[in-house]
Amino acid sequence: MAKLKETVLDPLSDNNPITVQVLGICSALAVTIKVETSFVMSLALTSVLICSNLIISLLRNVMPSKIRMIVEMTVIASLVILADNILKAYMYDVSRQLSVFVGLIITNCIVMGRAEAFALQNPPRLSLVDGFGNGLGYSAILIVVASLREVIGFGTWYNYQVLPLAYEGNGLVILAPGAFIIIGLIIWIQRSVIHKVEED
Amino acid sequence: MKIKEDLRTIRFAVIICVICSLLISTTVAVLKQRQDDNVELDRRINVLKAFGQPIVDAEGSPLSKEAVDLVFAAHIEEILIDKETGSLLEGLTSEDIPRNERNAKSSKDRTMLPLYRWTENGEIVQYSFPVSGLGLWSMIYGYLAVDSTLTEFSGITFYKHGETPGMGAEVEKAWFQDQFKGKVFFTAGDLQRFEVKREGADSDELHAVSGISAATMTGNGLTVFLNRDLALYERYFSKIRKTKGIGDG
Repeated sequence: MAKLKETVLDPLSDNNPITVQVLGICSALAVTIKVETSFVMSLALTSVLICSNLIISLLRNVMPSKIRMIVEMTVIASLVILADNILKAYMYDVSRQLSVFVGLIITNCIVMGRAEAFALQNPPRLSLVDGFGNGLGYSAILIVVASLREVIGFGTWYNYQVLPLAYEGNGLVILAPGAFIIIGLIIWIQRSVIHKVEED
Repeated sequence: MKIKEDLRTIRFAVIICVICSLLISTTVAVLKQRQDDNVELDRRINVLKAFGQPIVDAEGSPLSKEAVDLVFAAHIEEILIDKETGSLLEGLTSEDIPRNERNAKSSKDRTMLPLYRWTENGEIVQYSFPVSGLGLWSMIYGYLAVDSTLTEFSGITFYKHGETPGMGAEVEKAWFQDQFKGKVFFTAGDLQRFEVKREGADSDELHAVSGISAATMTGNGLTVFLNRDLALYERYFSKIRKTKGIGDG
């Protein structure tokens, strides 16, 4: 039970895929203009991560080691195409805003990274939980970054007006450099204030 | 021993591939209709928007497919025009558009030009047609609506682009699109060159709108493709003006 809890909580901060391992930055920069798109992206990535970890873990004892990574890629790519098609059918508007970034989950290092680092060595149930935990860690950062960018950039949060209509909006945070700065600040805060990461 | 192991590897690879491809093809087949409906509904909603029609219902939620279909059936006719001659292709509907032109990126790739007519009690009130072309770093897609005298813009909408948020992406904002209403593209018997100027252009100008701050290249792109597409449809519009004796020509 303790192991389960640790598997979920660890990636939330101590071992966060974005801020500590600095993986999955591409999509974290690209889709965090609005909270809505970030939320759907988080949902898509978390589902893919849970399923891929589960499937890879189930296959780990029968999978020939020579083609291990190709099999992982095939499973992940299939899951991503599924997710993309489901979004196109049921959440058309959001999927249009996310454009290629759902498809690019295939190349998101977090998914492959968890398959290699965790699912290959651990039983299915624990791998599933690990996928969920890492998805949550990714989502948490995405939502924080998106909240800052949407509120500062547009004066809205999840499309609701939160700042007075007279608020002009800040163009910098909407652009990619703004996301870089915000993610950089979050990484800095997390590493120096919350967890004293020792520099080698 | 080695061969046996290799065979096992190949067998495993084949099984994985077959399962994955079956899974994907089934999903795509099951969801295809729904996805196509979404794309078609989106296209129709954008045509409505160009005509200046509300695209949300009384409660503020987006129009349903049924509601959009009703408006289309009541007011909108879709016709096709031959690109070279500008003559109406009688009896042809959007079903007759050649397959390779269905998803044409711009009028350059079309031989038949789609045109929508908005009618009230049998009278044509507005025309609308797709416009698209390159902005700064993406294709910009939209619909342009013109009034029944074929001299003024009555509305414009851009629904798909990949321009920079806060800069070129402002083309999708109401403040930018609203400027087009009432601008004149045909006077004194001639098609006038329309221009998206730099930011802060005089709003009284008849043939120009003010551009977007820090998005001069996006504006230049619009100027190029709006004029190009207008010139294509002008081949048909000039025939209409002649038969109806409208406009200054």
